[in-house]
Amino acid sequence: MSIAKPLLDYAKSLKPQKGFTQSFSAFKRLLQYHRRYPWHVAAIVVLAVLRSILFSLEPLYTSYIIIYVIGPPTNTSLLMGYLLVILLAGIGYAITNFLLTYVHGVMSQYIVRDIRSEYYRSLQTKSFSFYDSVGVGDLTSRATVDLQLVDMFLRTWLGTVLNAVFTTIIIIAIILPISPTMTLISMATMPLIFYFTTHLWIDTMPLFRNMQLIMGRLTSYIQQNIVGMKTIRIFRREKDVVDGFKKVEDIYVNTAITAGKIQSMYMPLGPALLTLGAALVYVYAGITLGVPYSALAVEQIGYLILFVRYMMRLTFPIRDVSQTLGTWIAAYAGLQRVQEIIDAPRSVEDMPNARDIKIEKGKLELENVTFGYVKDRPVLKNVTFAVQPGEKIAILGATGSGKSSLIYLIPRFYDIQAGSIKIDGIDIREFKLASLRRQIGVVLQDVFLFSGTLRENIAFGKPDASMDEIVQAAKSARIHDFIESLPSGYDTPVGERGVTLSGGQKQRITIARALVTNPKILIMDDSLSFVDAKTEQEIQSAIEEATKKRTTLIIAQRFSTIKTAEKLLVLENGSVAEFGTHEELMARDGVYKKVYETQFVQKASPILWEGGGS
Amino acid sequence: MSGSYGTFSTKEEERRKRVVPDRVLIRRVYRYAQTNKRNLRIGVTATIAGAFTGLASPYMHAVAIDSIITPKNLAGFIWWIPLFAAVILGNYLFQYIQTYQMRIVGEKLVAKMRDDMMEKLQVVSLRYFSEGEAGRIISRPTNDANTVRIFIRVGLTSILVDISSILGSFAIMFYLDIRLSLLAISVLPVAIVLVWYLGKYSRAAYRRTLITTSGLTARLQEDLAGIKVIQAYAHEKETEKKFLKSQDENVKATIRAIFISSSYMPFVMALRLIGTMIILFFGVNALLTVPPTITLGILVAFIEYQFSYFMPLIDLVTMYDQYQSAMSAIERMFDVIDTKVEVADAPPERSIALQ
Repeated sequence: MSIAKPLLDYAKSLKPQKGFTQSFSAFKRLLQYHRRYPWHVAAIVVLAVLRSILFSLEPLYTSYIIIYVIGPPTNTSLLMGYLLVILLAGIGYAITNFLLTYVHGVMSQYIVRDIRSEYYRSLQTKSFSFYDSVGVGDLTSRATVDLQLVDMFLRTWLGTVLNAVFTTIIIIAIILPISPTMTLISMATMPLIFYFTTHLWIDTMPLFRNMQLIMGRLTSYIQQNIVGMKTIRIFRREKDVVDGFKKVEDIYVNTAITAGKIQSMYMPLGPALLTLGAALVYVYAGITLGVPYSALAVEQIGYLILFVRYMMRLTFPIRDVSQTLGTWIAAYAGLQRVQEIIDAPRSVEDMPNARDIKIEKGKLELENVTFGYVKDRPVLKNVTFAVQPGEKIAILGATGSGKSSLIYLIPRFYDIQAGSIKIDGIDIREFKLASLRRQIGVVLQDVFLFSGTLRENIAFGKPDASMDEIVQAAKSARIHDFIESLPSGYDTPVGERGVTLSGGQKQRITIARALVTNPKILIMDDSLSFVDAKTEQEIQSAIEEATKKRTTLIIAQRFSTIKTAEKLLVLENGSVAEFGTHEELMARDGVYKKVYETQFVQKASPILWEGGGS
Repeated sequence: MSGSYGTFSTKEEERRKRVVPDRVLIRRVYRYAQTNKRNLRIGVTATIAGAFTGLASPYMHAVAIDSIITPKNLAGFIWWIPLFAAVILGNYLFQYIQTYQMRIVGEKLVAKMRDDMMEKLQVVSLRYFSEGEAGRIISRPTNDANTVRIFIRVGLTSILVDISSILGSFAIMFYLDIRLSLLAISVLPVAIVLVWYLGKYSRAAYRRTLITTSGLTARLQEDLAGIKVIQAYAHEKETEKKFLKSQDENVKATIRAIFISSSYMPFVMALRLIGTMIILFFGVNALLTVPPTITLGILVAFIEYQFSYFMPLIDLVTMYDQYQSAMSAIERMFDVIDTKVEVADAPPERSIALQ
């Protein structure tokens, strides 16, 4: 089977129908954001009306010059006056046009900012598993690249639409009193133009959408190809990759050409029809013209020129509207990708009766806890155990046994489906989320440090921490001496431009970060397996110091950790297999004993099961 | 943790200096168009023909006013109507051919370049894909290819149409009345200097927004990469505050750029208007001298032609940016295609299977 088969099937499955109503509801949603800026919208409407009026003055006054200045009767004294009106109208047009562009741009920036903020806020509430399934790169590009497409549309759309409407209305208002018949003739093609423009849009929009969808998939195909290049080389699938790519690309190119064909048929039709209307106006004017060179004839010619020039002018707003429709297609796809994330379910929320509760002792009780990421597929089943204040529990189990899931439940990164979790006898759902999480120290498997100084990173959970508290936490985490050895000490920056830290150093800083709040409860994922003996020893000592007098749940990989734990919890397929002290479990002759004997006694390497894992 | 590819900004890379001269790039791109040479030739011819037939319209109006309507010589319609209809039809057909053929050329050409890039990526040294470079490489067959696609589709035809319209308008104007033509284009040098100079200023303003944009992107990326820590420490409010601050900076910089870039249009429009007034003032005087040195139809045609060379001119100047970014995109694409293969390998069908 070809590597590109799923992609190819996807590209082929895309039907160029529907999407129209979806696009409409996305547009309505975008319109909602405009409601916050009524003054901007009002200014755009007023400026658009003004701009349309000023736009139509030059042809009108040029015709006045023909009729009243050139004559007969000739009256050159009027010329400067008319020229002045043309000049003022032109300057007015230029200024309103500038203001309109500016106000429109500002509004667009504000709306994009609002959408991005909403997007950002929604991301803060997504679950860990959401972040495991969607890449950071993808999420970032939605907030930047995709919103840029939305910005492109927002910058002009309202002004362009209003311009087309108002210009048409004003031109008709001027020419209708002059000659109703000629107005009818010149505007006869307008419904056709409207019809073709809509048709163009309806026909091409699904095609452009498909193109964007295919291109999105092709981009991730290329990404996978580049990221997984090593594997592809090993299995010698290079040709397969390129051939599959070309097949999908062919569909893309053909769709683009089909869309181009439709566009090329409809797009030049509007101006052509308008020009055709102009020819009809000439013929009508020629037939109804009065005695040649008479004042009446000159007036008729002056107005004829006005009609024809207005029709030429109307091609611009029509062209702009079809361009705006084009930018909407791109903006729509971008908007959809952003809204899709905003609408994705939140993980956990504060209960209505949630309050700030101080954890006094740190007693932890789990009763019949059942939890799964997907409904009906529990990762943890009927887990029951209790931890006394200050007790340390080491959690053991194979990859996929539910170790990480279990510790993630305590700070409510996920909500359980059945059973209860209580701290000091109070259900954790009665805590406010922030109140709960701030009182539980968390050391994740993924040692992430923010760009900033070491001091800022340690004080992350308590930004107002005193220097003493920070140093105390660093000492407990056995990282203080290292920090002091750096030239800038605690003010040393970390991250891209900062000092490079080893995995072990990073882990100890994350331990210090967890300790600075002096939490009663500590949960740790100590899965950093493959480190040298010295680092191992340092981390061990840090963990030992950190867990003193704190209720601790620690996912253990090292025998040294297990040794210092008061009790051990062995998980097997989401259920508690064994729970008790080392001696108790050894006496039971169960899973723990077997693993202990095969892994810790025989091998010097103190790694339990397969290390790492979730 | 997932990598940061995909967010890589093409614009950031655009700030790098280009090394390959334009003509070399254009010649190489032209070679890619060889398979669709016919389409390209037909497309370019139709583009130019379309621009010229478009220009014929105001002249036909002038003829109708001067030799048919004014003397009420209705018999003239017998030849004028078919001719005018032919001009409209021709214009429509040329535009149709132009749009369709150029689309084929653009899509196929870029697809071919993309294929070459993909094929090359399969054989270059694995070292090429070192961490951090992935985003850069990915953006070439995707973002860069798209920039070139759009440029061939919109930019290239616009440049052709604009140049044809400008030259065509000049030719017709000078043919109709040399003196009035010279007066009409007197404002042109001022307009070009103004647009060029102010355009440079606005380009600089937009470049400044890129810095705040990449700051915003970096902030977003870090917050998302560290989201688990942020959630674990209930730190959402604080990080949000920082994010909003960095976003506000970006919004402010962009608004400033919008202000600068839209502020030069009024000047250009004012200049066009001065041109119109010169035509009207001298045109009306010429029309009223005895005997008149100009006709009414020509006067009106002049105003229209002035419109039809001024707008393309502005368009051409703004097109300069698009042209530049397309050229750098092309350069980057060739960079991939030209990458040296360090370990030339036997093709899979000739490789020996190990038992």
